[in-house]
Amino acid sequence: MLGYVTRRVLMLVPVFFAVSVVIFSMIHMLPGDPIENLLRVGSSPAQREALTAKYGLDRPLVEQYLLWMSNVLTGDLGTAIVQRRPVAQLVAQALPYSLSLGGLALCFSTVLGVVVGTIAASWRGSWLDQGLMGGVLFGSMLPNFWIGLLMILVFSVSLGWTPVSGARGWESLVLPVLTIGLGGTALVARVTRIAMIDTQGKDFVLLLHAKGVHPLTIQVRHVLRHALIPVVTILALRIGWILGGAVTVEVVFARPGLGSLLIKSLNQHDYPVVQASLLILAMAVMLGTLMGDLLQAAMDPRFRDSLT
Amino acid sequence: MKYNLSTLLATTAIGSCLALSAFAQEVTVVMASNEVGATSYNPVASSMQSVGTYLIYDRLIAKDENLAYVPQLAESWVEADDGMAWTFTLKPGVTFHNGTPFAAQTVVDWLALYPGTENAYLFDAVERAEVVSDLEVRFVMKRPDPNLLYNLSTVFASIPDPAAYAEAGEDYGVFDAVGTGPFRLESFEIGQQTVLVRNDDYAWGPGDATGKPAKIERLTLREIAESSTAFLELKTGGVDMLLNVPTDFVGEVEGASDLSILQLAGQDLVYMPMNVKQAPFDDIKVREGVAFAINQQEILDAVFAGMGKVADGFLISSLPESKIAEEFRISYNPERANKALDDAGWVMGTDGVRTKDGTRLSVKLWTQSDSFFRRLSEVVQAQMKAVGVEAELVTFDSAAIRDQYKTGAHQVAVRSYLWDNADILEWFFSATRPFYPNVSMLDDPKAEALKDAAMTGAKNSAEREAAFVAYHEYINSQFPYAPIYEPVQIIGYNAERLVMPEVLHAPRFNTLGFLELDVKE
Amino acid sequence: MSAAVQKTGMLGTIRRSVAWRALATIKGGVAGGFLLLVVLGAIFAPVLTPYDYDIQALTNAFQPPSLAHPMGTDEFGRDVLTRILYGARTSLSVSVVAISISLVFGMTLGAAAGYFGGRFDRMVMVVVDLTWSFPEILVALMLVAIIGPGVTGTLVAICVAYLAQFTRLTRSQVMALKSETYVEAARGLGASHAFILFRHLLPNCLGPVLVAGMLATGDAIILEATLGFFGLGAQPPTPSWGGMMSSGSGLLFKGPWIILFPGLCIALTVVAINLFGDVLLAKLDIRDRLRVV
Repeated sequence: MLGYVTRRVLMLVPVFFAVSVVIFSMIHMLPGDPIENLLRVGSSPAQREALTAKYGLDRPLVEQYLLWMSNVLTGDLGTAIVQRRPVAQLVAQALPYSLSLGGLALCFSTVLGVVVGTIAASWRGSWLDQGLMGGVLFGSMLPNFWIGLLMILVFSVSLGWTPVSGARGWESLVLPVLTIGLGGTALVARVTRIAMIDTQGKDFVLLLHAKGVHPLTIQVRHVLRHALIPVVTILALRIGWILGGAVTVEVVFARPGLGSLLIKSLNQHDYPVVQASLLILAMAVMLGTLMGDLLQAAMDPRFRDSLT
Repeated sequence: MKYNLSTLLATTAIGSCLALSAFAQEVTVVMASNEVGATSYNPVASSMQSVGTYLIYDRLIAKDENLAYVPQLAESWVEADDGMAWTFTLKPGVTFHNGTPFAAQTVVDWLALYPGTENAYLFDAVERAEVVSDLEVRFVMKRPDPNLLYNLSTVFASIPDPAAYAEAGEDYGVFDAVGTGPFRLESFEIGQQTVLVRNDDYAWGPGDATGKPAKIERLTLREIAESSTAFLELKTGGVDMLLNVPTDFVGEVEGASDLSILQLAGQDLVYMPMNVKQAPFDDIKVREGVAFAINQQEILDAVFAGMGKVADGFLISSLPESKIAEEFRISYNPERANKALDDAGWVMGTDGVRTKDGTRLSVKLWTQSDSFFRRLSEVVQAQMKAVGVEAELVTFDSAAIRDQYKTGAHQVAVRSYLWDNADILEWFFSATRPFYPNVSMLDDPKAEALKDAAMTGAKNSAEREAAFVAYHEYINSQFPYAPIYEPVQIIGYNAERLVMPEVLHAPRFNTLGFLELDVKE
Repeated sequence: MSAAVQKTGMLGTIRRSVAWRALATIKGGVAGGFLLLVVLGAIFAPVLTPYDYDIQALTNAFQPPSLAHPMGTDEFGRDVLTRILYGARTSLSVSVVAISISLVFGMTLGAAAGYFGGRFDRMVMVVVDLTWSFPEILVALMLVAIIGPGVTGTLVAICVAYLAQFTRLTRSQVMALKSETYVEAARGLGASHAFILFRHLLPNCLGPVLVAGMLATGDAIILEATLGFFGLGAQPPTPSWGGMMSSGSGLLFKGPWIILFPGLCIALTVVAINLFGDVLLAKLDIRDRLRVV
C-alpha cells in the first residue's frame, strides 16, 4: 500500500510541471499587453522598458518560465501587474470564498444525492424511483448560470429571502451552493442507488432479513454503510467539476472568489494572476484525483493487490 | 461588589449601544458603473478616479451647483490684472489624516509632483509656485490661464500629503492614501470595495459647509459593474444608495415605497469616435454619412426612457462652449447620411449593405462589456445598417479597451466620457495624443491651430469661450465622431434609512453630499 | 477511474431489464421527436415566423408573452421565439460541428495510440491526462481569450475541451479489440496497419464513440451557452441561445421571459439528447463498452 501511495504521489510531480508548462504557454498566447494598462499617456519608451523589465517580460520565455516556477516553489506567486498587489495575497483573499462555496456545494450534493439514491433504491422500480432519479438527472443538465439567474429572480427578487450578490454572511451562500449542488446531485444519487441495489443482494443482507431484523434498519445501518464507499470515491473526483461550476456561478452571484478573480484578471490581461489562479485550480483537480485514487485503493483490497 | 457589577453592566450596556449606533451609522453605496475598476487613489498620476478620491482628499477650489467656484482649502484667491499670477489664501488649521499640517509649502511640494504625469497639463501654464506666507501661496504663470480655477477644482487636483506620496512611490494610493478630506481610507480592494471611516477632525468643508465632520461614521463604496445587480441590491436592502441608476430601473425605484430618486444634471457624454486613419473612415464623406445615421432621439426615447438629452455636439449642454452654430450640429438626418455615402461611391446593394468596387461597407464597432454599452451598441449597429453600413460588434472589457485603442486597429467605437469643461475637446482630439485619448486619430493642422488658440491663447474667459466654440465647430465639420446621448445623473437611495441633504450645493453627489448625508435613527 | 468501471457494470445489468427497454422506447420516441422538432424549427425558421431576428422595433421592446409574441419581445423589440428558432441554428450547428471535428481528431489519435502503443501512446496519454486537469469551461475560456470571441473561438474551444474524452474512449476500444482473434488473424495474413485500423478496428468501435459524441453534444450546447452568457460566443445581432441570455441577464427584472425561454430551450434539448443517447445505448447494448473510459 505504502509503495502505491508513494508512486501515486510521485506521479504528480511530472504532471504538475507539465500542467505548469501548459498554463505558461497559454498565458503567453493571450493577445494584449498588460504593460499598456500601466503606462501613462505620453510616457517614454524608456518608461515602458523599465516596466517591462520590472515584471521580467523582456527575458526569454524559457527564462521567464524557470523564474516563475522557482518563485512558485518558494511560495512566491509574483506581483499582479494591474492590481499591483502580491498575487498570493489576492489568491488568499479569494480562496476562502471559493472553498466555502465548493465545500458546501459538495456536502449539499452528497447529502441530497445519498438521500435520493437511498429512497430510489429502497423503492426500486416504483414511480418514486423513476420520478426522483429523473428529477435529479434533469437538474444536472440545466446550464448553471441559468438556474442561478432564475433563483435570484425567485428567491431574492420576488421573495426577498436571500441577498442578490456578493459574499456577506451565510445568506449569500445559499443560492450559489444550491446552484452548483443541484447539478452535482445526479451522479451521487445514481452511484448510491446502484451501490445499494448491489449490496441488497449480498449474502449478509439476506441473512439479516432471515434473522427478522427490521427492513429499515437493514437498509440504513447496513446497506447504506456499505454503499457509501463508492460515493466517497466519487466525491474526490468531483472537485474539478465543482471548481469549473464555481467559475460561472461566482460571476453570476458576483462572489469575489477564485473564479471571479480569474475572469476579471483575464479581462484585464493581468497575466500573473491568471497564471496563478489556473495553477491553483489545476492543482486542486490533481489533488482531488489523487485523493479519489488513494481512497479507492484503501477501500478496495482487490484493487490494491493488483497494483502492488 | 454590587456597585462594581452594576457599573460593569452599565458600561457594557453603553458599550453595546455605541456598537449598535456605530453600526447604524454605516452606509453602503454602489459607485457609478463608469467608475468601476479604478486601480488606485492616486489623483496625481492616473486618468481615472472614483468618488472615493473626492472624499479622501480636498482640493483648493470647489464648485457649486451652478458651476461657480467656491472655497475649499483655499479661503480666497486673487488673480493679477495681467493674469500672470494668482495668490491663494489657505484655510488655517487644516491637517492631513496623518497629522501633518497643511500649509503654503504643502501646495508648493504638491505642484512639484505633476511634471511627467498624465495630469501635468493641468498646471502647464504655471511657471512655479512660491510661499508668500505660511497660509499664502502664489502661482507665477507662464501665460494667463482662464481655466486654472477649473483645473484646481477637478478630482485630479486633489491634494495628497506630498511626504506620504513620495514615501509610497509607485504604490501610492493602492494601500495608503493620505489626504485632508472628510473620510480616511481604511481599506481598498481594487474592483471590489473601498471602506472609508470618518475624519473626526474635519472642519474645512467646501463653500459654506458647516465646518463639521461628516454625519455618518463609516462609508463602504462597492463596485458593481453590472447595473442590474446593483439595482437588485438596492431593492433588497443590500446597499443604501446607487450613485447611478440605469434609466431602465427608474420606474421600478419610483414604484418601490422605500426607495427614492434624486436627479442631478449630467456630466457624461456618450459618443461614437471614428478612426480617421482607418478605411473606410479615412473618407470624410463616409464619416459624415455614418454621423448623420445615428438617430439620437430614438436612442433617447427607446433605450433611455426619455431621460437625459440628445447630444448634437461633443460637450455637455451646460457648458457655454456647447452652443455652436446650427450648421455644425450633428443630428439624425437619413437623407444626408444616404447622400453622403452615395457621394462617397458606396452603392446600396440588394442585401441592404453598400458596396464599392466589390468591397462591402462592413466595419467593426468596438464596445465595452457592460450592458449599457452592449445594448446601446446593438441599437447603433441597427441604425448603421439602416443606411447600408454593416457593423460587426467587438466587445472588450471596460478595463482593457484603452489598451486595445493603443493598437490603432479600431474603426469605430461607442464610448463615453465624464467631464464638465470644454478642454475635453483637446484631450480627445489633440494630435499629440493619438490612439488614446484621441481615439479618432484626428491630426489636422487647422484643428491644431484652433486648439492652441483655445488652450493657451486666451487671456480671459470670454476669449477662451469663443476660441473653444471655434475649435468645437471645426472638429464637428470633420466628423471624427458622432454625438449620441447626454445622460442625467440619477441617484437612487433608500429613503427609509437615509436623510439626503435638502439642497445640494454641488454639481455632483460627492464631497458635500456625503458630508451632509445622514442616517435615520 | 476504475471505480466507475465496476459501478457501471452493475448499472448495465439493471438497465438491460425488459421493463427498462420498454420504457426506453417511449422515452426514445419523445426525446427523438423533440430533437427533430428543434432541428426542423431551426431549418424552417424563416417560414415559421413572420418576424426577422435582427430588425429592431424599439417601441415594441419588453413585451411580455402574448398571442403575437408567444415568448415576448426582447430589449430591442425583437420576437424572442424568432430569435430562439434562428439561435438554434447557431447553437446546434456550432456544437455539432465542434463535436464532429473533435470526434474525428479524437478517434484518429486514440486509435493510433491504442493500436501502436509504446512511446507514442504514452505521449498521447500524457497530453490527454493534462487536459483532464482543467475543468472544460476553463479550457474553453482560455482558448476563447486567445482566439478572440465569436463563433470560431467557441468552435475551437469546444473541440479541444472534448478531445481528451474521445481519444481515451477510442484508445480503450482499440486496445480491447486488437487482441481479438480476427485481428491477429488479419495481421498474420499480412494486412497493413492502415487496413487493420480502418477495416477492422475503427468500424467496431464506431458505435460507442458515436454515442459518446452524441452525449457530449449535449454538454457542448451548455458550454456554448456558457461562453455566450459571458458574451464570448456568436456576436450580435447573430442570435445564439447563450448570447440571448447574456443580454437578458442584465434585464432579469424587466423581462424575465428574455432569459427564461432560451434557457428552457437549452435544458429541454440537452435532456432530450441525453435521453435519446440513453436509449441508443440500451438498444445497441454497448453501455459497458462506453463507460470503460
